Amino acid sequence: MVAEVLGGVALGVLLIAPPFLPPYFLEILISVLLFAYLGSAWNILGGYAGQFSFGHAAYFGIGAYTSTLLFLRLGVSPWLGMVAGGCLAAAFGLGAGYLSFRYGLRGPYFSLVTLAFAEMLRVVAVNTKAVGSSLGLVIPSREAAPWSFIFGGKLPYYYVILAMALGAVWITRRLERSKLGYSLRAIRENEDAAEAAGVDALGMKLRAMALSSFLTALGGTFYAQYFAYIDPTITFGPAVSIQGLLQAIVGGAGTVLGPLVGSFVLTPISELSRAAIRGRAGVDVMVYGLVLILVISFLPNGLMGWVRRRRA
Amino acid sequence: MDAVTKRFGGLTAVSRFSLTVGAGEIVGLIGPNGAGKTTVFHLLSGFHPPTEGAIRFKGASIVGAKPHAICRRGLARTFQIVQPFVNLTTLENVMVGAFNRTDEVAAARARAVEVLDFVGLGARRDAPARELTLPDRKRLEMARGLATRPELLLLDEVMSGLNPTEIEEIIGLIRRIHAQGVSLLIIEHVMRAIMALSQRIVVLHHGEKIAEGRPEAVARDARVIEAYLGEDA
Repeated sequence: MVAEVLGGVALGVLLIAPPFLPPYFLEILISVLLFAYLGSAWNILGGYAGQFSFGHAAYFGIGAYTSTLLFLRLGVSPWLGMVAGGCLAAAFGLGAGYLSFRYGLRGPYFSLVTLAFAEMLRVVAVNTKAVGSSLGLVIPSREAAPWSFIFGGKLPYYYVILAMALGAVWITRRLERSKLGYSLRAIRENEDAAEAAGVDALGMKLRAMALSSFLTALGGTFYAQYFAYIDPTITFGPAVSIQGLLQAIVGGAGTVLGPLVGSFVLTPISELSRAAIRGRAGVDVMVYGLVLILVISFLPNGLMGWVRRRRA
Repeated sequence: MDAVTKRFGGLTAVSRFSLTVGAGEIVGLIGPNGAGKTTVFHLLSGFHPPTEGAIRFKGASIVGAKPHAICRRGLARTFQIVQPFVNLTTLENVMVGAFNRTDEVAAARARAVEVLDFVGLGARRDAPARELTLPDRKRLEMARGLATRPELLLLDEVMSGLNPTEIEEIIGLIRRIHAQGVSLLIIEHVMRAIMALSQRIVVLHHGEKIAEGRPEAVARDARVIEAYLGEDA
């Protein structure tokens, strides 16, 4: 009951307050929601299925590049490009997943392979003139054109990413209460025992992979449209992969709200410490790192794990 | 299984071993430690491919089939070292097995509740599996297997580590599972239990079958006695 009321109030604030916020806070909120969204997408594969991908930047980048290239070269609306990017990323995820799972890569080996796939795409992007090489791609600024995913102010972007983040939470909740959700958690706990109980581990992991990579790619398109600029390091670099999984792990991997909660805690710390400690390059990163160490040492199951224990 | 051999590198774990479990039968598989009993279970349930030989279930070959596919055909197993999904509740553990026969959460839940009541774990339904005691974990292991609706259930030492009272309860439970029409192949070191339950006993020693027959006949078999006493001496 308390949780429902708190959730309702939080949702109300998120819907109503932003028009009255100064632009700087709106920017922070957009970052919070974008990382919450990416964390939720990662959480499906990493949190529920227990397959720790270090390479979700691959799908993020595929999403960003697909929609942007379709828009710049062919004039296709990024809304459609977003879906195309999602499908392409899911296909890539299925290929990478099949190769990894089929040959029994588990744990750190799976993580390393996903990292390698993302790095491979980054290197390809850097060396391909047709996609702008290391200079990247710019979406020229012009009049607001909602059909082209270009808005006048930041507020519409805020509502788009809010809808995406809430959508990801809704999908996760549906997943948790489905056969797929139960199967994924069984695989995470003990893959052999899950197989013995009739769980098609390969098939279920591939489904999680497809869903997770599809959603991550949509986040890539949002990023491209919001910042109007992408390059190989921003989109395919390890930083994106790490950002996604940090929100989920700090908030609570394998929980519906974990990534959202994690991002609401982590992202402002990152942004505000950068603003507060200006002029001393790197100090903000150290503060951020310290917070991470503390959270991981004292809350091994993330913030949601802590909340759950307090309640029980 | 017919003339099945399994080699791990130079080690022959099971050698030209043949075994049949008829519909509605309870067969006991015994032998000293390291005889290859659990390897037989791994072969039957698809965790290890046989090096040579044929394995058939309900007339069709299951060689090369993955464990989940074998489970779907109606051959389920438990693990000697219990392997619960510790972060899931008891009910959720069993639901995973129940999803073998349904895609509906409500149906899986209903089946899991039914099976948990059947094995006597109904009251522990919402407890996380990590909080279960060893006897309860053994029951959970059996419940998860049963929830998949097997025609043949392989039980790997479900009585080890239990006290006499608990063993009696498990014997009763195995009888009730059998009464539901499930065939059983049982590995067990508790001789009293295996003698009481089995209609037929197969003895494995150094990966080879050394005896097969009715419990009382096997118990008198000179080679069986030698195998057991020989291990101890």
